[in-house]
Amino acid sequence: MKQSRSRLGVAAAVLALLALAGCSYDATKVPTHKESPAAEPTPASCETTDADLRSYDPSKAAGDAVNRIRKAGVLKIGVSADTLLLGARNPSTNAIEGFDIDVANQIAKALGVEPQYRVINAGQRIELLEDREIDIVARNMTINCTRWQSVAFSAEYYRAGQKVLVRPDVADKYAGPQDLAGLKVCAPTGTTSVDNIKAAEPDVISEPALTHTGCLVKFQQGQVDAITGDDTVLAGLVAQDKLYAAVPKQDAFTKEPYGIATNADDKDLVAFINAVLEDMRTNGTWQKSYDTWLKPYLLIDATQPQPAYGRP
Amino acid sequence: MSQTATPAAAPPPPATAPAPAASAPVAAPQPGTSYIDTPALLNRWQLIGMSVAIVFGIVSALVQFVGWQSDGRAADDTEQLVRVQEIQSSLLRADALSTNAFLVAGLEDPAQRQEYDDAIDTVLRDIANAAEAQPADRKALAALNEQVDTYATYIAQARANNRQGFPVGAGYQTAASDQLRNAAIPVLDALVEANTDRADGAMGGQHPIWLGIVGLAALAGLWWLNRELARAFRRRLNKGLVVAAAIVAVVTLVTTAGAWIRDSSNDALRDGEFQDAVSSAVARTAANDAKANESLRLIKRGSGADNEKKWGELAAVVEKKAPATDLESWSTYTERHAQIVKADDSNRWSDAVDIATTDDEKTGSTAPFNRFDASLADDITKASGAAIDDLRSGRVIALMLSALTLLLGVAAALAVARGIGQRRREFS
Repeated sequence: MKQSRSRLGVAAAVLALLALAGCSYDATKVPTHKESPAAEPTPASCETTDADLRSYDPSKAAGDAVNRIRKAGVLKIGVSADTLLLGARNPSTNAIEGFDIDVANQIAKALGVEPQYRVINAGQRIELLEDREIDIVARNMTINCTRWQSVAFSAEYYRAGQKVLVRPDVADKYAGPQDLAGLKVCAPTGTTSVDNIKAAEPDVISEPALTHTGCLVKFQQGQVDAITGDDTVLAGLVAQDKLYAAVPKQDAFTKEPYGIATNADDKDLVAFINAVLEDMRTNGTWQKSYDTWLKPYLLIDATQPQPAYGRP
Repeated sequence: MSQTATPAAAPPPPATAPAPAASAPVAAPQPGTSYIDTPALLNRWQLIGMSVAIVFGIVSALVQFVGWQSDGRAADDTEQLVRVQEIQSSLLRADALSTNAFLVAGLEDPAQRQEYDDAIDTVLRDIANAAEAQPADRKALAALNEQVDTYATYIAQARANNRQGFPVGAGYQTAASDQLRNAAIPVLDALVEANTDRADGAMGGQHPIWLGIVGLAALAGLWWLNRELARAFRRRLNKGLVVAAAIVAVVTLVTTAGAWIRDSSNDALRDGEFQDAVSSAVARTAANDAKANESLRLIKRGSGADNEKKWGELAAVVEKKAPATDLESWSTYTERHAQIVKADDSNRWSDAVDIATTDDEKTGSTAPFNRFDASLADDITKASGAAIDDLRSGRVIALMLSALTLLLGVAAALAVARGIGQRRREFS
């Protein structure tokens, strides 16, 4: 009895020792990252018609906005720095270059001030104009009736159209939006581009990114099957990955008339910009810029759109 | 010591009692003659006395062993914490270098590229070493390894596309930095927190009070036993019990004092070198994050207000956590950063980029920043090395003392046996 008790004691002591010697820590918890949900696009509150393309009559008469900019000595321009062909940073020189940038530079030059670029994404365009943090937006911005309720637009300076970009093997067989059924299509957050496709093919899966370049990253990583956007933007994306990306022959889902946007109250600035656009038409700078940036990729002999004025 | 006296105990009982017949009915217990079974009592006291001494030896040795083990774990946990913090600061150092390189127009500086590669190598090596050192961190480190792999891949893609003049390089750079901050850094924060708690807890593994209580309890037991013996044999002290009590008292005194000294030393360490190492590592991580945010502000070209706000928050952390001796170079860096902000806000973006990217000590922000980073890295190495050395010092002596305590417990038990054996002989 005594022997068994002492054995029990020794065993208990050994067990306690082993328990202490072998005590280990709880595993470190691994936090999980959840992507924040994409911002929902603002639904259109009106239907865009040709009347919405009407802008203010061109004039170089200086009003409040023009005087304010001249006094400041800089024109604050909201641009893209990653939309090749329209507005993109040249890694060799750090300069931001493209078709939109050429138009903006012409406006700054005519005002006699320095251009000050502010890189913005599509979702920031209206907010920054309303807050007067920038004077104009030269960032492939489509004129439509909903936006006219918040900002003012110049006359149309380029007519783009919404299309899709896919892999070349898909592009070879692409016959229309029905071929996108079940595929993940990427467009920048806050835009209605995917909704336009869904109107034709409801089984499209929306997979947004912050910008079109973000969509290209996802496309190259195999996270999305297609990208949708303006043909000008898609041409810039294809130029960066010719082996893996292609824009098949297709009808555009929508018409995308580009305008330079300003604060809604800056009517004199809009009139001034329209006068500059007229100058660009007559002196050939628009055509020269188009031929430099867009024509080699779009392969279309486009000319500057005819302006519509007469907005009261 | 013992005094001669006539034993008051009853004589021993008869050696054998007649066994009752198997079939005989059991008689009801009758009140018998009152006598004490002295040998049985002595056996019981001997068992109690030896048990007290043995249990004292085992428990006291065990408490010391736990303290020895805790100090070892504290050293290991501190090493792991330093490793994890090095991963964090190296990763943000890599991001600071890659974002800064992205700002430079044209060819990438080979030295800066090499420094980026070295930082990523350090990260990967530390992840492997950390996974080997602490099994509880393996799952988190495996997740981190995936994040670092994705980050490095994105940076490689950014570099390749940038070299070809493709803006998608900026997309990869942004994706890498976002992924680093949203996915990898939270894992590292969890690792830092877990290892800080572990090291902190392990440093509190010395228990002088327990040792004192165990010793006092053993002494109380021996005192009680001596009192019982004194009552039975009319002798005030039992030599064996006195020897056992002396052993217990000396061992308790020495081990309690040793554990108290060790505990105080750990407390001083926790508030001293350990805290210095942790604070310097936090400052280094925040500083590199601030430098990366400086570059991201310029990459975003006018839309980096959030990055500038973040820079301010991180700079406050640096100023709070970095050693005062290093703040001179940080102060120079912040002055250059203010010049960057001024230039950028004044439509002189190119000038701002020049200040942010040039390695010139007199005009750029990078040279004073690199000096500050190197000083902090040196501080971390020194402080953590001192903390780990301190925790590991004297561990062999502590272990030997623990083993000696066990042996002395056995010796005390033998002394008890011998002391009670003497009474037994006297009784015989």
